[in-house]
Amino acid sequence: MNALGAFALRRLLLGLGQTAAVVLLVFALTEALPGDAAVALAGDQPDPARIAAIREAMHLDRPAHERLLDWAGGLLHGDLGTSLVSGRPVTSYLSGGFGPTLQLAALTLALLLPLALGLGVLAAARAGGWVDRLVSALTLGVYAVPEFALGVLLISLFALHWDLLPPTAVGTSGSLLDDPAALVLPVVVLLSRPVCSLARLIRAGMIEALDSPYAAQAARYGVSGTRIRWAHALPHAVAPAVQQLARTVDWLLCGVIVVEALFVIPGLGTVLVAAVAERDLPVLQGLAVVFGVLTVLVNLAADVVAHRFTPRTEAAA
Amino acid sequence: MEAVAEISELRVEAGGRLLVDGVSLRALPGRVTALVGPSGSGKTTTGRALLGEFPPGARVTGRLRTAPGGVGYVPQDPASVLNPARRAGALLHDIARLRVRHLPRPARAEALRRHLEEALEQAQLPDGTALLRRYPHQLSGGQQQRLVLAQALLAGAGAVVADEPTTGLDVLTRRAVADRLAAVAAQGIALVLLSHDLELVRALADEVLILHQGRVVESGPAPRLWTAPRSPVTRQLLGTAGEKGGDTSYEPEPEPGTAAVRPAPPATGDRPTPRGRLDVEGPGPAVLSIRELVARHGRTTSLRMPELDVRAGECLAVVGPSGSGKTTLGRCLAGLHRDHTGRLLLGGTPLPRSLRRRSTAQLAQVQYVFQDARAAFVATWPVLDQVARTAVRLRGADRAAATREALTVLAALGLPPETVRRLPAALSGGELQRAALARGLLAHPRVLVCDEITSGLDRASRDTLLAFLRARLDQDPGLALLLITHDRDTAALADRLAVLDDGEILQQGPAAEVLDRPAHAFTRALAGRAASRAAPAG
Repeated sequence: MNALGAFALRRLLLGLGQTAAVVLLVFALTEALPGDAAVALAGDQPDPARIAAIREAMHLDRPAHERLLDWAGGLLHGDLGTSLVSGRPVTSYLSGGFGPTLQLAALTLALLLPLALGLGVLAAARAGGWVDRLVSALTLGVYAVPEFALGVLLISLFALHWDLLPPTAVGTSGSLLDDPAALVLPVVVLLSRPVCSLARLIRAGMIEALDSPYAAQAARYGVSGTRIRWAHALPHAVAPAVQQLARTVDWLLCGVIVVEALFVIPGLGTVLVAAVAERDLPVLQGLAVVFGVLTVLVNLAADVVAHRFTPRTEAAA
Repeated sequence: MEAVAEISELRVEAGGRLLVDGVSLRALPGRVTALVGPSGSGKTTTGRALLGEFPPGARVTGRLRTAPGGVGYVPQDPASVLNPARRAGALLHDIARLRVRHLPRPARAEALRRHLEEALEQAQLPDGTALLRRYPHQLSGGQQQRLVLAQALLAGAGAVVADEPTTGLDVLTRRAVADRLAAVAAQGIALVLLSHDLELVRALADEVLILHQGRVVESGPAPRLWTAPRSPVTRQLLGTAGEKGGDTSYEPEPEPGTAAVRPAPPATGDRPTPRGRLDVEGPGPAVLSIRELVARHGRTTSLRMPELDVRAGECLAVVGPSGSGKTTLGRCLAGLHRDHTGRLLLGGTPLPRSLRRRSTAQLAQVQYVFQDARAAFVATWPVLDQVARTAVRLRGADRAAATREALTVLAALGLPPETVRRLPAALSGGELQRAALARGLLAHPRVLVCDEITSGLDRASRDTLLAFLRARLDQDPGLALLLITHDRDTAALADRLAVLDDGEILQQGPAAEVLDRPAHAFTRALAGRAASRAAPAG
């Protein structure tokens, strides 16, 4: 337990370092925009007044390290700057987009875990049988279909052809949860590939563990098959699966751009796409920092969990 | 007496090979039945049959009746049946839960705790409940073995199959294992022992079955078998074991199978012996000097060595029980363990602590042969190429010359070219061990560190290996050998001995002197025949 605590602490310190690196990198990338950032930002409207306004808004007349300190100091207070396009604070963009994305991600995760675990364990328990072959074939097949294709297919069938579900979330104001029907298709599309990859990983780890001498020893002493599968074999499959899960959570939280665009959900992905189109640099910077920090946090948690289930590895970090 | 588990006329055929033919076995409560025979003689197949387990796709005939409480199993490597991802007590808790299932819910927790403690106590893990919270890799081999034994006791097994429980252990630990198994039998459990450790069998067995090529060649009560063996295979087995004075010291497996095929059994004279020099302290400059070495693992100091010299032309054996710091010493010398202070001088020049800082010449001069030879070879590359690569990398030899030299050295070790052109998976453990030795020698080292290179070998291969090393020392006066071992016969090859325990040198000096005046229990066990005769009897 102590060793796990020490590991978590070490990993946390590393996470802080990684967060600082993300902040620096985001700033450096903005700096590295060719020529004067203000000119680049003005883009299609190279009107000198606008360029001067941007210069002033971004304090480009001041040296880089001062601006970095200012910006980083602001981050610490939760101040991410103001949008160049609307003049609204970046935080209002983020908080607006965060709600729908979080709801989508949480719902997807809540369904993803039991589905993937159940399918993986089921396939492994019947390894080589027709259930296993069916599950394996299906998961491989579905995994091969990209989200946008599956999304378009589902919309045309369920929304346009049979008129069972709304095709997009347009018109839902406020919380998506008020209109659950609008969530069904996006969540199904979001689930499709992660369920497949996770179930396949769990199946592989389980088959290896069920074939091990320690599973045989448990069976020898009369421990039931269900208990062997869930309590003795599953922990072996958890470590690789949890790393994959972290990648999925990253992907869900950091704005699932295609799915949000497809179903017109006003989440972080939509904010990101709009900010890129409008060259709204402060919003982009803010998004990058938030995505970076989320990624660091999620992977930190995954590393700690994986470490718990592979106690022999000295350090995964 | 009613047998707890019984096999009659068992015949197992798998993959076109007859593994076991016509074996019958009765395991009686409180008695120890030993299955003795070389690897491949059908011991393990018979033992697993008692558990109701057979190789996949096997054709089985015969009758099998097992105990009501089931048959427990303690495998050769107890760690393999402990789940690395769960705490050590995970399975024990599950077994205990099955035992208290019939009780009313409120009484269960208390009964479960009592059952657990009782089983741990019987397995001689008295303060075991704390151990159950650790992970298997945090337990010693002995603790793992006792924990696995506790599983069988907790499950209420009427019979326990113990597969090679003493293989690879040092003398003192083997005695402890024998004690533990005797205690299990004393509790009225039928113990089935699969072993080639003759002293263990002599100390424990009531009934002995001698297996050879899947058949029982002789069986009977142990005393009758020792005094009046009927089968030539048994006589061969006992004769070879008695070769060193007819006493009962712990001997590695004498391979009756191979011995029976060979017309002339190896006589005492064929065995390598240390050169009978009186001046072992005299000649040979120190190739490698160790000064004020203190090695640590984390915060614990695992080795203290104020002074030790390895001289050219000599063989120095570092002996000691498991965990005494022998391997740490070898790893410090080879640059694999960096966490130490002190000086290592190779021919008078300091040797960098880390492998990475050593020059190619320094790397070549100190070579290390690992205990686990299979892990020391890349699985996807022919053995010959890997052996020859050493000469190319460390001495700049050209490939053709390196391959020629590799073939010569490998042939001298009894490995023909057609064998070494295969991948490591096609070679046996003993063959790979010799190939690993050849690879070390191809660097033309001045110091060759051999870490327990004989522990997994049968007697004949071990003797071949030791004879080769001795000859090599005679040919190459600049070479120094450092043997890390707990095997008496391997240590007997050495000119000098250094006895380690708990990270300290207890004794060092000419081999004869150390063995004549043993100052430590381990040395006594190593040298003493009298002491080992007093080994636990049933």
